[in-house]
Amino acid sequence: MTDRAVLQRSYRKARDRSMALLLVGIVLLTPPVVGVSLIDGKIAGIPVPLFYIFIVWALLIAGTALLSRRLTNDEPLDESNEIDDT
Amino acid sequence: MLSVNALLAVCLSYVAILFIIAFIVDRRTRRGHIGWLHSPVIYTLSISVYCTSWTFYGAVGSAARNGLEFVTIYLGPTLVFVGWWWLLRKLVRIGRAHRITSIADLISSRYGKSPSLAVVVTVIAVIATTPYIALQLQSVTRSYQLIAGQVDVVATAFWIATGMAIFTILFGTRNLDANERHHGVVAAIALEAIVKLFALIAVGVFATYGIADGFGDVFADVSEKMIQGSGEIFGPRWAVLTFLSASAIICLPRQFQVTVVENIEERHLSTASWLFPLYLFGMTLFIMPIAIVGLKVMPTGSNPDLFVLTLPFAQQQEELALLAFLGGFSSATSMVIVAAIAVSTMVSNHIVMPIAMRLLAANHAVSGDVRSLLLTSRRISIAAILGLGFLYFWISGGSDALAAIGLIAFVGVAQFLPSLIGGIFWRGATRAGALSGLLIGFVLWAYTLFLPSFGGDFVLSASVLSNGPWGIDSLRPQSLLGLVGFDPLVHAVVWSVGANFLTFLVVSSLTSPDDLERLQGAQFINVFKTAGGAPTGFASGSADSEDLFILAQRILGANPARRLFDEMAREQGSHSGLPHPTDTVIARLERELAGSIGGASAHAMVTRIAGHQTVGITELIDIADETQQLIETSRKLSEKSAEHKRTAQQLRDVNERLRALDAQKDDFLSQVSHELRTPMTSIRSFSEILMDEENISSEERNRFVAIIHEESKRLTRLLDELLDVSRLEAGSVDLKLVAVNAKKALSQAMNSVFGVTQDAGVTVETTPTPRGLMLHANSDRLRQVLINVLSNAVKYNQSKNPRINVEVHVLGDDVHINIIDNGGGVRRDEAAMIFDKFARGSKSEHSQGAGLGLPISRAIMRAMNGDLTVEFLPGGASYFRLSLKRHDEAFSLGEWSI
Repeated sequence: MTDRAVLQRSYRKARDRSMALLLVGIVLLTPPVVGVSLIDGKIAGIPVPLFYIFIVWALLIAGTALLSRRLTNDEPLDESNEIDDT
Repeated sequence: MLSVNALLAVCLSYVAILFIIAFIVDRRTRRGHIGWLHSPVIYTLSISVYCTSWTFYGAVGSAARNGLEFVTIYLGPTLVFVGWWWLLRKLVRIGRAHRITSIADLISSRYGKSPSLAVVVTVIAVIATTPYIALQLQSVTRSYQLIAGQVDVVATAFWIATGMAIFTILFGTRNLDANERHHGVVAAIALEAIVKLFALIAVGVFATYGIADGFGDVFADVSEKMIQGSGEIFGPRWAVLTFLSASAIICLPRQFQVTVVENIEERHLSTASWLFPLYLFGMTLFIMPIAIVGLKVMPTGSNPDLFVLTLPFAQQQEELALLAFLGGFSSATSMVIVAAIAVSTMVSNHIVMPIAMRLLAANHAVSGDVRSLLLTSRRISIAAILGLGFLYFWISGGSDALAAIGLIAFVGVAQFLPSLIGGIFWRGATRAGALSGLLIGFVLWAYTLFLPSFGGDFVLSASVLSNGPWGIDSLRPQSLLGLVGFDPLVHAVVWSVGANFLTFLVVSSLTSPDDLERLQGAQFINVFKTAGGAPTGFASGSADSEDLFILAQRILGANPARRLFDEMAREQGSHSGLPHPTDTVIARLERELAGSIGGASAHAMVTRIAGHQTVGITELIDIADETQQLIETSRKLSEKSAEHKRTAQQLRDVNERLRALDAQKDDFLSQVSHELRTPMTSIRSFSEILMDEENISSEERNRFVAIIHEESKRLTRLLDELLDVSRLEAGSVDLKLVAVNAKKALSQAMNSVFGVTQDAGVTVETTPTPRGLMLHANSDRLRQVLINVLSNAVKYNQSKNPRINVEVHVLGDDVHINIIDNGGGVRRDEAAMIFDKFARGSKSEHSQGAGLGLPISRAIMRAMNGDLTVEFLPGGASYFRLSLKRHDEAFSLGEWSI
């Protein structure tokens, strides 16, 4: 596999992960799933719903930060766009 | 208590700092030093203009009333930034590629640079923004009032509005930046972003650790109701609020301004993708504790909307209160400044300029400077928008109704969402769809949410609100068509955004886009596939460079226009003067102008000069059509593979030829040795006879010597010819090619073969006589070929009445000399082989020639850039054709040697 193909695969992977992260984030933060956190109790002294939302939020930020570096540049050229004669 | 003067002094010095920062940065960037400003952190901080005083103060109030719900206002933007790669990146790329100046510009450009669409978006934006500005004025005056005590509310609001107008005009319209970027303003709001975050966290830390004893203590005896609010917290309202805030971070004019228009570099967005949610995270972390502590500590009945300020104030923390005040002040001013810039750009580009243009067009004598007109209109727009905001504040009397305006504005700008998202992802979206969707959504928004928010004081009376217009119950604004039991906000969103979306969808699918729409749509949707602003290829016609230059000067200013045109002229390869008004030049100019006055206006102006637009359908397909691009790609691929096949075939052919040549070489060697052996044998045998036999008569001796002499001569001639043909074929003979008179060459050749033709009784005719025709040839060598071919024609002519016809034809640069005899010529199957060395046609069994005449002749002809071929008449008879080039000056000047 060429360098470019490796690069491209990693880019696509990052892109797919960013979509997955987004969808997971939407599901976890909107009803009905977010309603699951509605428990009368506390974690580390913080009410569960509050704790839940802020933890999900923090994880989303961390995930986006991890992916953003790999998605910064433009997509590496598609192999099919450029056929090198061998 | 802080003295009014001290408060005023702090405020004024803070404002002075903002002015100085904006001024310094503006000056630095104008000199080309962007430096630290060119950083993703600054970009992210500028996006935080999202957090207005409504969120700075209001979030705590919301938390105190509705529990966790306030978080949704930050979750929506977080989700949008988490998915930045899919939407924001595309918006930013489109914004950069098409020099988009505002969200109205983007939507109108996408739908065929439609002016009407731009006007509708602008009007909605103004209506949604004005009360929002009033809200900011209110929060600043209230907080000021709170610290300074009794003040003249209206006068305070007026001076604040004036100050902001001055700042915005000063730094928002200093020049018409080609990209509509305001580095000074961005730097100032970045500083304000830091101040407000710092202030809010400071107050939060104070509330959590100063008043309470850490998080555990804050939440120790918190009730479930405190977290959940009064109703069902994670219900439809939660989802709708998240959706609204997500759409607001895209559609709010000020957000579009900072995220798309002010974006300096696309990769900054990837940093903002996590840094901005982190900023929001920081802004919200202490909201809940402040609200809880505030409710606990503050006397009952105090307004939770101002806890951020009143809490430290009540605890005698005056410095902290001052900081909180500055935080709120920063939130308000940064929002007002950016919103004023964004909306005034829209108003000026899409409402004022088109009218001004029409006036200018009506009167061509007015050669007013459009540039200064534009700046003036921008300044007046800013003043007008802030004036409207102030007026709104004044008339509404700073009532609490204003507090709701934040969400009302969110719903208002959410009307842009269907056209915007549809426009950049859906090829089928049309202008009619966008326009009707926007109008329906706008009307329903106004009817179900905006007008009812006045509580019956404006347009809709209280009785209409409670009983419906004309007493029609099912038309009640807040429960349209009997939709009862919903939160008014959810109700309004479902109606306005839902109807907007469906109308957009249905009308788009029923109409079809015109050519310009289709082109723009394809360019927007495929923005990542079309490399950096391909020439849009339209508006060709009778453009005059001079007119275009004048237009550019008026809008961009004299020097930038001169630079632009010089650059375009250089690209066309000319070093002076104006560029030719090609499609590329016109498209480029239009893009540059769009950066100042918006796509629709720029398009209208340029097409007015360049003649009516003509979008060729082929150009459309070539430039932008995705399917066509796919077809193109696959065609190129198959072309490639066909090429590979061809190359392989050629290699096989060459290999085949090499094999054949190798075989020929062997044949040739055996032929040569055979040809040489015949005379050698006779020479040897006759010389042996002469040596061995004593008694030979002198008569016989003479005869034998004559034979030996004859054979040696033949041998020499054969070797000479062999040498000649091999040298000619190897290309190592330098034939000097000059002008040769065709008539003269022919008659000389005729004379040379006269003896032979005379003996054979052949008549030779030349038709037509080539008068004055000059050939590019070598005279001696041409004669050699002519003699050879003519004598062949004589030699092998077995007709009873032999005749030779020499025809000279001129075909452009080529001259054909056809030598046609009535002897029947060569057979078709022999034609290829008669040019082989030592080959002889079927008729030449008895001839004495070595079979090198024709190969030599052909080699000579080829060395003279011509050829010698056998051609066939329709009847099957064949003739020889000598092809040559006509002599013209070009040949004689160049070096034409082989």
